[in-house]
Amino acid sequence: MKFALTDDQASVLNEVERMLDGLALPAHTEPVVAPYSDTLDAALAGSGFLDIAREDGFGTLDAALMVERLARSPHIVEAGASAIVAPAIGLEAGLRPVALVAGDPTGPARFLPRAQVLVADLGDHALAIEVDPARVQPVDSLFAYGYGRLDSLDGLPVRRIDDVATLRRRWRVAVAAEIAGCMAGALSLLVEHVKARHAFGRPLGAFQSIQHRLAMAAESAESSRWLALRAAWSDDDGDAAQAAGFAQSRIHALSYDLHQFSGAMGLTLEYPLHLWTYRLRALVGELGGAGAQARAAAAAAWPDAAE
Amino acid sequence: MIETHTEFRRRARAWLEANVPQEPAPRDGPAAREFVLRWQRRQAEGGWAGVSWPKEAGGQGRSVSEQIIWFEECARARAPSPLGPGFVGLNHAGPTINACGSAAQKALHLPRILEGDVLWCQGFSEPGSGSDLASIRTRGRVDGDTLVIDGQKLWSSYADIADWQEMLVRTDPEARNGAALSWVIVPMDAPGVTVRPIRTMAASSTFCEVFYDSVRVPLSSIVGGLNNGWATAMSTLSFERGTATLALLIETVARVGDLLADCPASRPAMRTTLATLRAEGQAILASTYRFALDSEHATPDASGSMIRLAFAEFAQRVTAAAIDLYGIDAPEVLGAHGWGHEYLHAFSETIAGGTAEIQRNIIAERVLGLPKEPR
Repeated sequence: MKFALTDDQASVLNEVERMLDGLALPAHTEPVVAPYSDTLDAALAGSGFLDIAREDGFGTLDAALMVERLARSPHIVEAGASAIVAPAIGLEAGLRPVALVAGDPTGPARFLPRAQVLVADLGDHALAIEVDPARVQPVDSLFAYGYGRLDSLDGLPVRRIDDVATLRRRWRVAVAAEIAGCMAGALSLLVEHVKARHAFGRPLGAFQSIQHRLAMAAESAESSRWLALRAAWSDDDGDAAQAAGFAQSRIHALSYDLHQFSGAMGLTLEYPLHLWTYRLRALVGELGGAGAQARAAAAAAWPDAAE
Repeated sequence: MIETHTEFRRRARAWLEANVPQEPAPRDGPAAREFVLRWQRRQAEGGWAGVSWPKEAGGQGRSVSEQIIWFEECARARAPSPLGPGFVGLNHAGPTINACGSAAQKALHLPRILEGDVLWCQGFSEPGSGSDLASIRTRGRVDGDTLVIDGQKLWSSYADIADWQEMLVRTDPEARNGAALSWVIVPMDAPGVTVRPIRTMAASSTFCEVFYDSVRVPLSSIVGGLNNGWATAMSTLSFERGTATLALLIETVARVGDLLADCPASRPAMRTTLATLRAEGQAILASTYRFALDSEHATPDASGSMIRLAFAEFAQRVTAAAIDLYGIDAPEVLGAHGWGHEYLHAFSETIAGGTAEIQRNIIAERVLGLPKEPR
């Protein structure tokens, strides 16, 4: 087992870093829906990196590494569904952004107001629906992503997808990678803050009560990352469910601790922590939340017991 | 004839059923001010304002037990939340003036708080000085019979719609501890006061930054004596941490009951979570009743920090569970009064009024008697 990045992986991530380095922090004065980064979206689309899993010599692991890295940044862009899910369910390259929804295909979906295609998991099969932007109604959201819903499927081109297990597996990998990246990004902001901010004559980060909880947050971010990468590498149903569920189960504690140590400043739009908090809160409940992933992981490991 | 608790409760319930506003409370701005003052005035007219405040302060002079009954009935009737623009006046500035103020300060301010004439805000925290209040830098310089204030305060909730501010200022530039501070009453329309609302991630503008540029107030605005501000502030912090939490706690526990009622039997894990939260809420409530009743005739002890800490973390868990119950796109979560806003706002519970870390230190040092960590 090798855990070091290959030269190719390192150069892709370096290139992603370069794209992110040039971007200004999003100006965000209106709460609730954080701005979508069109600049980053265009740079990613132009780079071809969103199709990395379709390239010879690359795969889902490389896509997950990139999605995790992107989520560490404060810039919001649809990458997980495009890079990790779409190649496995027969969506053509470049047809994106991709929105995903479970259950009711006219239910609210992340990124739908910008999406070209909506993939709806209907349980025993799925549908890939070509989106007509005029048919999308924006949905109020509290958690950063622009959400929308289709008014109906009437007249929209629809293709049936039978391999719903693959859709769900890749969706879980994408969720796990995105959560891991958001955790790491928010944590790194806070680590700098507690070094710089002083109380009682010393840096906040010198207090053990703060050190201990940030250490636990670091453990959550690190283990979520490696479990997500393992699931991307194995492409196994059980691994994917475990990775998404584990990461989801760690979000509440991590978010509260990071906000706690950023004080009242962390509650304002003037401090960027909310750009990760919003996303993490939205991802807590994706695909039914941690409980649903845990049951799916158990069902994958013991299929007889599940019946 | 002396009214029994049962009779008092019955009378409170009937009045609340007839008088609780049906429209939702506006979240911020002038509309929030008008709403909360109107509700306070209605309570005063009905003879319900300040149930346990002394009669000379304009209150009803009743027992803490009756105050608890009133809070319980308010929660049952879904009366406006006590955690709004009226909170500081009713639960902090008012009790502090009552405990430490001069006769003139009491006569001027206390009845007006209860009668719904004025709103108060708090000016304690500063940029660079949150938990460590003794490091406050906003200065108050004595000039004849006035105090001249220069500096900046932060996280002053509802400062943009308040009439008065309770403030801690540094009146002794040399002293390095709490003896350097004074507790001062400042009118928000004084020349030199500038307020800037700050947008929060919970979609409100209730937090404010306040700037003071040579603001002059009479020395008679100091409560509890010059350079005695730390003791004055501490005199009611235990009250705030214990008893003032009561109304919020009763309301939150009642809302957990609503969540359980909305949770279908087909979601056993969710029901377990909510039922556990309900038990947790009842446990904190039991401690709080004990604390409130013990505080009726004695200075509240440091165990108020246990209540503040437990309630803050409980409130955060309840809001998170509510979103898990309904889903992030549900009508119960979205909208101006949805659980989503409550969830985002609840991050402040373990920060405001003394962080959870400060409360833990107080519990360890003053309740358990453990040695202090070096600071």
